[in-house]
Amino acid sequence: MDEFAENLRKEKFQVPVCTVCKAKSWPPSPFCQKCLSRTVFRKVKTEGILQEFATSFVRDHEGVFGIVDMDGIKIIGSFATDRLQKGMLVKMTKCGIKSGTPFYIFEPLR
Amino acid sequence: MRRVAIAASATSRFEKTTDKSIFELACEPCIDIIKNKEIGIDAVLLSTCSTEQYSSTIVAEMLGLRPKISHRIDNLCNSGTNAVASAYSMIAAGLCDSALVVGAEKSDSTGNRLVWDVTRGAFNFPVHWASMFAKAHMSKYGTTGKQMAAVSVKNRKNAARNKNALFQKPVSVEEVMSSKIIADPIKLLDCSRACDGSSALLLVSEQLARKFENPVWIKGIGQQTNSASFGKAAENLSSLDTASRAAKDAYLMAKTKPSEIDVAEVHDAFTILEIMAYEDLGFARKGKGGQYAESNKIAINPRGGILGCGHPIGATGVAQISEIAMQLSGKASERQVKGCKTGLVHNLAAAGSSATVVILGA
Repeated sequence: MDEFAENLRKEKFQVPVCTVCKAKSWPPSPFCQKCLSRTVFRKVKTEGILQEFATSFVRDHEGVFGIVDMDGIKIIGSFATDRLQKGMLVKMTKCGIKSGTPFYIFEPLR
Repeated sequence: MRRVAIAASATSRFEKTTDKSIFELACEPCIDIIKNKEIGIDAVLLSTCSTEQYSSTIVAEMLGLRPKISHRIDNLCNSGTNAVASAYSMIAAGLCDSALVVGAEKSDSTGNRLVWDVTRGAFNFPVHWASMFAKAHMSKYGTTGKQMAAVSVKNRKNAARNKNALFQKPVSVEEVMSSKIIADPIKLLDCSRACDGSSALLLVSEQLARKFENPVWIKGIGQQTNSASFGKAAENLSSLDTASRAAKDAYLMAKTKPSEIDVAEVHDAFTILEIMAYEDLGFARKGKGGQYAESNKIAINPRGGILGCGHPIGATGVAQISEIAMQLSGKASERQVKGCKTGLVHNLAAAGSSATVVILGA
């Protein structure tokens, strides 16, 4: 977890990958959720399918957000546009930590 | 296994906020249960997401109790139902004969914000995942905002008959539909509200149950935990696998089925969750939860649910079970459901990542 956050602070999105079976461990864990071996952080594909999206009006959390499935890594990110469709291909363009909270920014690919 | 009964219950008035400590809140309903009862308390289980150390034992000490067993149970909104499952197991196994289960929470509980879950990113309020569920259910099954509003209207109407509920004023469909959008399509009156509150139950063995008038029996319990994070829980946005699995186990253990349930308290932190619960519990066919919300075939959330009563998360599961126990023992006064014999409680935590279903019988 700490290494995941450290990478995010450097605007790097890396997830734990099993040293034995190569499965991605998401949400982040030092142990593989399939074979319980140790994991190491690796860069992964940050393109995925938009599963669902909505618009938030919560104070300080305004904007369009959606859940993206990046080959099994499901994550809620924000979008600068509401011209979105379920099932469309999207890509993470930026990530980081702001006021102690992770953020992930996506944009449509087509 | 020994049979286990709910012998007594009490719930405090749920309030927006109070000056009371978590310990004072926890003790209040317990006093109503243990005073004048000639029965020893073998276990004290405190359900709360408050982080005070040794809290269950502090509550036991404040109540003048010396139980064999005392500890806290923290599992977010599901804590109270989990605590009852633990107390049931202890009594059924013969570890103890009586257990006081108390749920208590402050409105500013750390359990209201899911800080560990990195899969939610900056959109880490419960309303954000609720909006994903609502949009998915609407697009897949045609569920409407008006059907969601019907849930809020029903539960607020029921809460108006419950002096302990946070909200005492009914609302109309129009008021729900025109309330402020929080996260599309979830509106303000589709949402529950965190508050201060507490509730307590006395669970006893069959032998001790004979000393009480109209004990209510725990017939079945099902629990399922799939994950801690939304990113893992969100395999299917239009139904909750945890709830349907927990329900299946509870029905099997209780040797009953959905059509035999007379009264239920279901987790309605957001209106869409009650609609999904109808389907996950087998009250309505998959995709028909929205229509079921407008038909009210059985008594659902007679105390007002979470929408009407407020949501002190550690107390919610205990208060839900307290309501069904009162209904089945005929003690629910002005909101009594006539002739009810079998009741169900459905509770969830954190986007349905875990669920508990409890079936009770008169």
